[in-house]
Amino acid sequence: MKLGAVGRYTLLTIAGILSLAPLLWMMLSSLKPGGDIIARPFSFDFSQLTLHNFRAMLDTIPIGTGFRNTAIVVVIKGALTMIFCPMAGFAFAKYAFPGKRVLFATVLTTLMLPTLVLLIPLLLEMSQLGWVSTFQALILPGAIDAFGVFWMRQVIMAIPDELLDAARVDGAGELRIFASIVLPVIRPGLAALGVLTFINIYNDFVWPVVAVNDEQHQTLQVMLSALAQNIRSGQLGADWTSVWGQLLAASTVAAIPVLVVFIVLQRHLIKGVMAGSLKG
Amino acid sequence: MATITEAAATRRQARPVRRRRVKAAPYLFVVPFVLVFAAFSAYPIFFALQLSFTNWHGAGVLEFIGFANYRYLLASPDFWQSMATSGALWLLVVPAQVLLALTIAVALRKARFRGLFSAALIAPFVTPLVAMAQVWIILFDQDFGAVNHGLASVGLPAIGWLTTSAGAKVTVALLVLWRTTGYAVILLMAGLSAIPSDVYEAARIDGASAWHQFWSITVPLVTRTLSFVVVIGTLTVFQLFAEPYVVTGGGPFNSTRTAGLHLYKHITNSDLGLGAANSMLLVVMVLALSLASIRLLRSREDS
Repeated sequence: MKLGAVGRYTLLTIAGILSLAPLLWMMLSSLKPGGDIIARPFSFDFSQLTLHNFRAMLDTIPIGTGFRNTAIVVVIKGALTMIFCPMAGFAFAKYAFPGKRVLFATVLTTLMLPTLVLLIPLLLEMSQLGWVSTFQALILPGAIDAFGVFWMRQVIMAIPDELLDAARVDGAGELRIFASIVLPVIRPGLAALGVLTFINIYNDFVWPVVAVNDEQHQTLQVMLSALAQNIRSGQLGADWTSVWGQLLAASTVAAIPVLVVFIVLQRHLIKGVMAGSLKG
Repeated sequence: MATITEAAATRRQARPVRRRRVKAAPYLFVVPFVLVFAAFSAYPIFFALQLSFTNWHGAGVLEFIGFANYRYLLASPDFWQSMATSGALWLLVVPAQVLLALTIAVALRKARFRGLFSAALIAPFVTPLVAMAQVWIILFDQDFGAVNHGLASVGLPAIGWLTTSAGAKVTVALLVLWRTTGYAVILLMAGLSAIPSDVYEAARIDGASAWHQFWSITVPLVTRTLSFVVVIGTLTVFQLFAEPYVVTGGGPFNSTRTAGLHLYKHITNSDLGLGAANSMLLVVMVLALSLASIRLLRSREDS
């Protein structure tokens, strides 16, 4: 469909602005005096900018603990995913072994199921293992996820068999082949998997809110939602000017790491999302 | 017979140790995944199925009660209300998303600065959901929110975005649309870029109008991607949890208590058998809706 150049760019510009506006509004408003957020939501007086909201927020929630917990989960769960998804994908892509078909069909079936189904049984499993409110509970379920394996299989299938056989003739072991041929060749795919994995784990909410009951293990997202709930239930008082400022400050702080990763690696992310459509 | 075994034995000996390692290798590669998958995906699914036939509350032995949970849920107004709420959100989100995303993707296909626009469009998708849900509470507040402030400045009345049943659904739907439409655009871009441009060339030569080209070339050829977008949207809406949990808490008057939130209620009430049955019904519903959407889209492809 030809929209005409003017129509096309108008549409894209509006869509782009609507996409970014809430984010920019959040960041700019978090730097405004509380009263102004309510009284003048659309004006920004740069001489009035303040860090007051951030200081007040730091006094209300232990956001540092949230960051630490999220970092621990992101690093370990991310590493497990980045190492073992390509490994399993390699096995599915380049080897024939008994049981492969059944296993792969099972993987594909679970991709179709809504993840919410796992919520209750996983929670019970955690309590049977004595893992409620532990890092294991936050890290292991959902690590090395089936979609990552499926995706890496697709990526690795594109590697020519001759390349791998040539290395075998030279006497390379299978692990050597994986580490020094497969991994370097699929680096773009790995980068895309890395960005998506980071974003998913960092933003994960449903499982952490169910699996953790104590503040020591709360991830950043769970901590943020607790802040919002305290506000709704009136525990922080009804002084909206102060409460909203804190909420915006906390949201901004939580969004910054993921936005930085996004800005640096967005090309890989977009490629990753596009590759994801192969799943269809 | 003996010679065959002998031959096999010598062949096995003739092949060096390396060969055996090749046979073990795929298992070693796949084992970490299989362990985690078995323990935290496959086992829980079967466990949930089993639980759904019990009245378990979190302790004691499993007492099987047949289909009682399912019968109870299918007769429960709360269950149906949660399904209807998710259905309403589906209607608010998915058709709008498909239309918006397809229009934007088509516009983006021939635009310059494609990278820049794509980045802007996908940015909401990466932002922490909880953070943005909070921003939504503030933006859509009836008395002090920026949205009503903006409406007032052009002389429009204030809307109860979070305080009325209809308003709350729309507010939650807007958050979902805002966060996920860019993702759908990128998916559709991938689908569109797979259409060879000479197809359009030929249509132009035949004198097909822009609208005709869109409807009879673009739409049928991206049907696969479109159905993927619809399935993802359906999965997202029927699992919707964090958005209503943070923005509305399921209110007002349970008007945003989605299927996902309803499921969570069973957990907080320790009705775990019932909750497991509820999740099974959710699976059936999601699969049925996904398949129906695909059918509907594919039938257009055939016609």
